[in-house]
Amino acid sequence: MSDDPVLELSGVDSGYGEMQVLDDCSLHLDPEEIVCLIGPNGAGKSTVLKTVFGLLTPWAGTVTYHGRDIGGMAPEDVVREGIGYVPQTDNVFNSLSVEENLRMGGVARKGGLDRVIGDLYDRFPLLDEKRSAKARTLSGGQRQVLAFARALVMEPDVLLIDEPSAGLAPNTADDVFGHVQAVNELDTAILMVEQNATKGLGISDRGYVLDQGTVRFQGDAADLLDNEEVSKLYLGG
Amino acid sequence: MVLAEHLANGLIFSSIIVLGSIGLSLVYSIADFANFAHGDTMTVGAYSAFVAFGLVGGLGGSVLGLPFGFFVALLVGIAVAAVVAVVTEKVVYEPLDIDSIGLLITSIGVAFIYRALIQMRFGADFTRFGIQPLRPIEWLIPYGIRITKHDVAIVVSAAVLVGGLHLLLQHSDLGRKMRAMADNPDLARVSGIRTDRIKLWTWLIGAGLAGAGGVFLGLYNQLSPRMGFNLLLIIFAAVILGGIGSVYGAMLGGFLIGMINQLTPVLSELGALLPLVPDEFGIPVGIEYANAIAFVIMVAVLLVRPNGIAGEAT
Ligand SMILES: Nc1ncnc2c1ncn2[C@@H]1O[C@H](COP(=O)(O)OP(=O)(O)OP(=O)(O)O)[C@@H](O)[C@H]1O
Ligand SMILES: [Mg+2]
Repeated sequence: MSDDPVLELSGVDSGYGEMQVLDDCSLHLDPEEIVCLIGPNGAGKSTVLKTVFGLLTPWAGTVTYHGRDIGGMAPEDVVREGIGYVPQTDNVFNSLSVEENLRMGGVARKGGLDRVIGDLYDRFPLLDEKRSAKARTLSGGQRQVLAFARALVMEPDVLLIDEPSAGLAPNTADDVFGHVQAVNELDTAILMVEQNATKGLGISDRGYVLDQGTVRFQGDAADLLDNEEVSKLYLGG
Repeated sequence: MVLAEHLANGLIFSSIIVLGSIGLSLVYSIADFANFAHGDTMTVGAYSAFVAFGLVGGLGGSVLGLPFGFFVALLVGIAVAAVVAVVTEKVVYEPLDIDSIGLLITSIGVAFIYRALIQMRFGADFTRFGIQPLRPIEWLIPYGIRITKHDVAIVVSAAVLVGGLHLLLQHSDLGRKMRAMADNPDLARVSGIRTDRIKLWTWLIGAGLAGAGGVFLGLYNQLSPRMGFNLLLIIFAAVILGGIGSVYGAMLGGFLIGMINQLTPVLSELGALLPLVPDEFGIPVGIEYANAIAFVIMVAVLLVRPNGIAGEAT
């Protein structure tokens, strides 16, 4: 594979109704990378992911995937392109069982659904134990794992994850980050939004700091963590 | 005992209400649409079956006192109601692209159109399927239950349809997708579900069941252009009572509302039924107040459980 970005936003404006959130936002994701998107509440981090995934249509600029424009493509088609998405909230089907959640994750697969779900049960034994439990009965951490596994059923090329550690106890959060790294090692490029910037950048190759819909800083994850200005403004130190 | 008779009637009437309330609830939960044309969709089913029965009524032997032709007509009623609803969705609601309140109001207009078309063709008067009315089943009469084989056919058919829907929802791919969509429409799209298609299937199934309800209502009472519309309010009551957005709640709500409706006369005979209460005691409400009683009970339940019986507790 070439080193061209798998996913690229350039000059994207986007928002809700009349309200603009993203303002000339540009970022990219290279093959096999983990990229972490940080920034204050309301900066537009989730909006970036929603715009990539077709839940919002870019008002201006382009979203390209392997060089092809996917801006405004419907979410059900974006999945079929090979992009997976774990939303920040409401990311499981509460009234469906664990097994049914995983099946829903694979509706666009051409075949091999049982094999992939079997593999996911091997990888996440806690889901295996809870196959027929309704998702609403799971703990926060278990639910996050289910949300993550649902997106993996498609074996995506690129995975967008919105705040995987939100609301989780530190140990559970570390487990989730471990899963993110493990998936990345299977050659899935990951664009992750993370509230816990230190930990998020800690497992990432590169990072972007988003503020008021615009990228303020970008660079190698380690450099961003060391950057005094970033620390002072965005890492609470 | 009179109570048995009312319970039996309640069961028959409930079967019809349940068939109506399922579709209303399905379309509400999956298409986010309170469809006021749902009652008239029942009427469409009834009159389509009426026409079909006129053509094939003489067909074959009989089951539960109904000629085979009736069951063919039933299928025609289901199919026409389903197709009319899907076409309306495609031709009217979908192109309009408005919010759910706009859709609600539009559906009231659609209801008037269905009804006007039926009335233009068939007149405003009552009519009946040309089926010989039956005498009550003999061996039940000593128990005070006067129901016909036709009534049994209604209950059995409704049970089969509801059971079939349950199997579909729980064990088919389409059913799982429908439940997923009712649960979380955005996540459904994100997962790759073609939600537009699921919506059409929902219309098809919901309206088909309504069509069946209409046919049975026509068999139980008679047909008239207002038959479905007259039922719409208590179908809404059933869906709200059960928990709007929950299909199983709609089944339960439909059952309860149908029962309550037919049990209203029992109120005036309370004394005779209850021990320790003088036989003359009773709350004199006629069957004409049945809907009002059903609504009073619905409101009472909602005061305790604002999201309905099967709705999520708050
Ligand atoms: N569905 C919506 N409709 C209208 N405005 C919204 C919607 N979702 C988010 N917003 C607004 O858009 C802006 C950016 O929101 P976004 O969710 O992208 O922020 P975020 O960076 O993900 O924040 P957080 O850290 O809180 O998740 C905020 O002002 C928010 O209030
Ligand atoms: Mg967010």
